[in-house]
Amino acid sequence: MTKYMVRRVIMAIVTLAVVACTTFFLMNAIPGNPWLSEKTPTQATIDALNAKYGLDQPLIVQLGKYLGNLIQGDFGTSIKMQKNRPVLQIILEMFPVSAKVGILAIVWAVLAGVPLGCLAAYKRGTWIDSFLRIVCTIGISMPGFVVATLLLHTLCGGIAGVKLFPALFDGTPASYVLPCIALGFYPMCYLSRQTRTAMLDSINQEYIKTARAKGLKNGVIIFKHALRNALIPVITYLGPQVAFTLCGGLVVETVFSIPGLGRYFIQSIQNRDYPLIMGTTIFLAAFIIVMNLLVDVCYKIVDPRINLTRGN
Amino acid sequence: MAETKKYNKVGSLQPNIDDIMDWNSLPENAFEPATESEKESFIQDRENVSYWKDAWRRLRKNTVAMVALVVIVLLVIFAFVGPQVVPYSYKEQIRGSETLDPWHYTLEDQQKINDYIEKHSGSKVLSVEEAIEQARAEAEAKGEKLTRVEEAKIRASANVSKQSSEETEMTAQQAAKELGVKAKIFGYSNRELQKIAEGEKVFPHIFGTDDQGRDIMVRVMVGARVSIIVGICAAILVLIIGAVYGSISGYCGGMVDNVMQRIVEIIYSIPEMLIILLLSATLKPALEQFQNSGDGVVQSLVTLLGPNLISMFIAFGLLYWVTMSRIIRGQILQLKQQEYVTAARALGAKGSRIIWRHLLPNCVGQIVTTTFLQIPSAIFLESFLSFVGVGVSAPLTSLGSMCSEALSGLTSYPYRLFIPAAILSVLILSLNLFGDGLRDALDPRLKK
Amino acid sequence: MEQERKTEKLLEVKDLQVSFFTPAGEVKAVNGISYDLNYNEVMGIVGESGSGKSVEAYSIIGLLQSPGKVVGGSITLEGEDVLAKTASEMVNFRGSQVAMIFQNPMTCLNPVYTIGNQLTEALRAHNKEISKEEAAKRAMEMLEQVGINNVEKRMGQYPHELSGGMRQRVMIAMGLICHPKLLIADEPTTALDVTIQAQILELMKELQKKNHMGIVFITHNLGVVAEICDKVSVMYAGKMVEQGSVDDIFYNPGHPYTKGLLRSMPRVDAESYERLIPIEGTPVDMLNPPEGCPFAPRCEHTMKVCLQKMPPYVNMGREHRAACWLRIQEEMKNRQEESETEGSENE
Repeated sequence: MTKYMVRRVIMAIVTLAVVACTTFFLMNAIPGNPWLSEKTPTQATIDALNAKYGLDQPLIVQLGKYLGNLIQGDFGTSIKMQKNRPVLQIILEMFPVSAKVGILAIVWAVLAGVPLGCLAAYKRGTWIDSFLRIVCTIGISMPGFVVATLLLHTLCGGIAGVKLFPALFDGTPASYVLPCIALGFYPMCYLSRQTRTAMLDSINQEYIKTARAKGLKNGVIIFKHALRNALIPVITYLGPQVAFTLCGGLVVETVFSIPGLGRYFIQSIQNRDYPLIMGTTIFLAAFIIVMNLLVDVCYKIVDPRINLTRGN
Repeated sequence: MAETKKYNKVGSLQPNIDDIMDWNSLPENAFEPATESEKESFIQDRENVSYWKDAWRRLRKNTVAMVALVVIVLLVIFAFVGPQVVPYSYKEQIRGSETLDPWHYTLEDQQKINDYIEKHSGSKVLSVEEAIEQARAEAEAKGEKLTRVEEAKIRASANVSKQSSEETEMTAQQAAKELGVKAKIFGYSNRELQKIAEGEKVFPHIFGTDDQGRDIMVRVMVGARVSIIVGICAAILVLIIGAVYGSISGYCGGMVDNVMQRIVEIIYSIPEMLIILLLSATLKPALEQFQNSGDGVVQSLVTLLGPNLISMFIAFGLLYWVTMSRIIRGQILQLKQQEYVTAARALGAKGSRIIWRHLLPNCVGQIVTTTFLQIPSAIFLESFLSFVGVGVSAPLTSLGSMCSEALSGLTSYPYRLFIPAAILSVLILSLNLFGDGLRDALDPRLKK
Repeated sequence: MEQERKTEKLLEVKDLQVSFFTPAGEVKAVNGISYDLNYNEVMGIVGESGSGKSVEAYSIIGLLQSPGKVVGGSITLEGEDVLAKTASEMVNFRGSQVAMIFQNPMTCLNPVYTIGNQLTEALRAHNKEISKEEAAKRAMEMLEQVGINNVEKRMGQYPHELSGGMRQRVMIAMGLICHPKLLIADEPTTALDVTIQAQILELMKELQKKNHMGIVFITHNLGVVAEICDKVSVMYAGKMVEQGSVDDIFYNPGHPYTKGLLRSMPRVDAESYERLIPIEGTPVDMLNPPEGCPFAPRCEHTMKVCLQKMPPYVNMGREHRAACWLRIQEEMKNRQEESETEGSENE
């Protein structure tokens, strides 16, 4: 267990380093420089700016310096969007809104998706199963922006007389509802599908036959024996879904004009604010990698088969 | 012998009396030995169903998958044949046919509506087109030509007045409703209606047109085509890279496999969407520079595809093959243990030959399924990137970028977003459903 | 009382027919089999894979999964019609009246629950009043009975922490914890080592004597049958081809398939030059079973009539019968001789 944890943490750190380096080199592969899109400055001004931000040094030195700074929590300063503000400060200011929406979305996705998956598996072959299957397949086939704009258009005044939620995000609880639904819809459907598959897989296992032979009631068999086993693999799908939700946030935040990190990230890409792009990418990547790590560790804890230390 | 007889009637498991009575009616030669040929013809062998035939049989029974297949075929025809049928091009800006709704009122109805509005609001309301026509006529009378700028100004002011009048005065739609005039399907500009009245044939703007007078249906067709092509290319790319990487890793084993798997693990935990965004954002300028650096074949290819599309493929090639390679590696590790591979090796077959002739054919079902399901996921991703603004770029269009363009006008022209969005969703949905059916049909574990 | 129970029938299976309705057509997995089982008896059901022996057992305990369905015949346990029970009656019936243990103890225990949990659960499912402590006590007693030591520790362990033989003992304990009258054992020793096999068989015999239950023992291993069974049914392609006591089957086999099985079984007492003789060919296609004897294509004595008509059963002894035209031919000859001798006597 410890060995596994150590290995897993090392892998996470390596991944993060790879992301950081990739980000750095990609940014440096861009021809021209960030100052060009403003009204063309003189060569002297460019040189001065380059010197100020350390852009005149050899690449490897810049990389070393950048990584060193990252470890100390220095993500650099924004050069376009909010000039001279530390990137980390901007991120930390923007992230809570995104995180709130994201967490709510994931929570409702899990709370709705897993039981629906169980229901579908329990009622397999009936119309409930077919209906849920079709809804969930539609759910994973509709890009986030379609769901988001559909909700925005239908429930925020697009149809005469229907204006249940504010169209603009203002931080009130009501304005959280639609973004969370839009953001959580895909993970909900995805989790529901995976839960159904895992449940059916679990139901076909031999220990279910044993449980039936023991004379247990159908409900006990499904909810005690099949569900526990089915939930273990479902946990592993949570990690990628967290990542997906964070990235889906980019679109949903744009559609609903939420002042979150996602929308800001898109804007910074469009404005070529390199330190901000790098900082945000690394921040989000770190977040996702840590989430994956946690999910993996949870998986190992929940599954007694892995826990070999017990009882010895 | 008599002993046997004594037990004849004991126990509940009595032989059937009728059967015994039947013995006497057996033919004379009943107890002669049967010939070999008789024995052989006795076994009615089940028709030996091949893997593919069996899979196809199961697929055909799956109604949902078959419906999905039909939808896919229709969409492919729509995307690839459609643009040939419609006489407009996706870039063509049709003058005089800007911002048409996918419905129209006949000229007489328009007259009626205008009269009605006039009666009720007291002022003559000109439709935008009429205002432009009027201005154009005035300008021509003066010997000038109406410039685009002026035309746009009229449009803008018409829009403003339309919005401001919405609350106090009635709209054409309200008037039409009260008059009981029904809109006819398809969009025609007044000029086109005139032409029809004169007996000319005009192809309708079935989905209307956008601000620049481009036919939305053609754009949707071309967008769908781009999406489908992107999906298929991405799937093939993923298949090739994943298959090569996975089979090498699985076949070689040992140290090579170990190192290759660590690399896979790292790529696996990289959040690929972020990297793709980053790639699209950063490679775009680099590719644009390369594109302008000369006239070689590669450069023209880059121009054809557009820098965003290329960076998207690069991202697919770098990151998305991981799942595929894992599947193939797993299959190969499993199959490697099996005897026929050992047998092939004992006969002196080379490594590459073993992979191609013996290993890959055996995991083909799973590979086909995974590859196929890669298509909708690539389309999904492409639409996401296009929507965010780093995907397919003008002049080329995709369903995602059409939605992105339509977002700003969502309240006035919702159909401009929902038509491509619906096509996109239906496309991905039917691909997913068919992929599911394919998996069910090809999975040998379900074979009974 | 004891004497009476012994002669009473525990289980009576009559002309049972089970079909699987597959997309390709109806597969008659079990096609008209009948047998009786008394208290304190062990019935072995022998046959190769796909002969329908497990399907037959599943239909007794009501575990047949769709698309399988009992289409004919009857199953009676202690005079009660099992097939007439409703779904909820079957739930109570399983585990308390009939228990079943399966082939692979590795996969038959739920990996995420402790042994104790899974044992007490079986008990509490049929006895709502029993307290947790009482149930745990009973479970531990049961574990001791099946020869597991250190029971208190075992109760808290997960299945993966036990060896294969130990798990099968747990499975047996779980099956017997509610004192069922009938135990169905579906190849319970196949997945185990030979030495463990012997131990488990010994244990089952011992427990069977102690609890006066009947066992339906499904196996393809005639060695195991000789070890534990009183009666044997030999199944081939969904049909019962021969039935009799162990001695009948081993020393006076009436069906060529039984003979083939015996010849293909390794024996300790065999002469060193005797070879094991496999049965050639593969079983018939169950989807379109031909008229006539299903074993005919693999039989060395095939006659013309074998290919046309399924032979009826011929009694070969008190409880020994076989379905083979060869036996019928013999029987007819015997009768002829008899009537001739009788006729001559009369003269």
